[in-house]
Amino acid sequence: MDLNPPSGENYANPRICFFHVLFKAGALAFYILSALFFDSFVIIFVVTVLLSALDFWVVKNVSGRILVGLRWWNEIDDNGESVWKFECLDQESLARMNKKDSWLFWWTLYLTAVVWIFFGIFSLIRFQADYLLVVGVCLTLSIANIVGFTKCRKDAKKQIQQFASQTIANRFSSTIQSAFTVV
Amino acid sequence: MSHNERDTVPLNQSSQSDIDEIENLINYSGPTTVLPAQPSPPPTIPISSSPFIPSNLPPPSQKPVQPAVPPAIPINNNNNNRNVNNNNNNNQQLTGFGPAPNTLTEPVWDTVKRDLSRIVSNLKLVVFPNPFREDPGKALRDWDLWGPFFFIVFLGLVLSWSASVKKSEVFAVAFALLATGAVILTLNVLLLGGHIIFFQSLSLLGYCLFPLDVGALICMLKDNVILKIVVVCVTLAWSSWAAYPFISMAVNPRRKALALYPVLLMYVSVGFLIIAID
Repeated sequence: MDLNPPSGENYANPRICFFHVLFKAGALAFYILSALFFDSFVIIFVVTVLLSALDFWVVKNVSGRILVGLRWWNEIDDNGESVWKFECLDQESLARMNKKDSWLFWWTLYLTAVVWIFFGIFSLIRFQADYLLVVGVCLTLSIANIVGFTKCRKDAKKQIQQFASQTIANRFSSTIQSAFTVV
Repeated sequence: MSHNERDTVPLNQSSQSDIDEIENLINYSGPTTVLPAQPSPPPTIPISSSPFIPSNLPPPSQKPVQPAVPPAIPINNNNNNRNVNNNNNNNQQLTGFGPAPNTLTEPVWDTVKRDLSRIVSNLKLVVFPNPFREDPGKALRDWDLWGPFFFIVFLGLVLSWSASVKKSEVFAVAFALLATGAVILTLNVLLLGGHIIFFQSLSLLGYCLFPLDVGALICMLKDNVILKIVVVCVTLAWSSWAAYPFISMAVNPRRKALALYPVLLMYVSVGFLIIAID
């Protein structure tokens, strides 16, 4: 993964990208700056966790779908077993996805988790259990999204390879079949 | 569901569909057309084998190792049928996908509405009397954690507002108590050999907090001690009544009390917290 955004095209969905980044940055900014303005921990906790939860929802349901075409969810089948589902768009539209969008998506996803870990270590050193609670909740939400989407992506690549090899095998067998019918 | 059914019927079906799939693929002459993102009628694929579903490919073949389960996921299909007319130009990149719907391409507002209606329906299922209560697995099929999240935060906020001193600590304690309590209670049920899904149980315990939320709100508005005790007792009984069938169905009948007692204990302690706050 490179450090610079791919050049040569603009963001295809600027509004979605904006919202994708907005809530993450908002949660982090509020967490950092609130100590200067608010005395009450309750407001800090509620607003930060609320922004983090909104960000989780936006990433999972909106920007994941639109920026990178991936989606994951959990279902309970008739047996009462829990099944995790991972879904992606087909290969053609995946290839058509804007590179800049997906670069932004993945980079901000990983970066926020790293920053939250950093804050967690900070509050651990200072023995502030309250703030550790906030960081813990936000970190859990970020990591859940990362794990879900990374699983989508890995399986997407594997499925693409399988599909490619399957179509090649079938084309091959069909050409052999046609060769035999000619004979 | 007898074991025999699973062994005989689905195996024939899946092998037949495999043959059809392969025939279809062989008979394609040109490059495969871009199929619209299908809501693949998912054969439920357990997590150990590949759970991946690419949207336009025919569903991957059943692996005969796992017992085949009849594909019945009504939720997705309902949503996709509703979204047939909504898959319009909300997203320029994906307009090549024709009329077939998929929640992958639905407008954002639909997602919001779907989630909100799910919260409301889960709440109604859990807290109010309804015919599904005897079958807990079916009732909270569509678990979600947003409802519990809002209820826990609301309860913490109300308790914090009611407190005249140490507001922040009250909130933090209430939140931590409820969150870790829910996790520990779930682990308790699982360790007692119960059959319940982790997130489903968390979701349930969160939704059962709704009566206590209402009680705490009333107690905050009216500061009479007798009224508080009455209200808390009523809402506590309501919460316990809501949680009872799910927990008791999940475990062995001889261990019902072991699973239920901690749940009741937690709700009673929350009730005391509501009464004792001044």
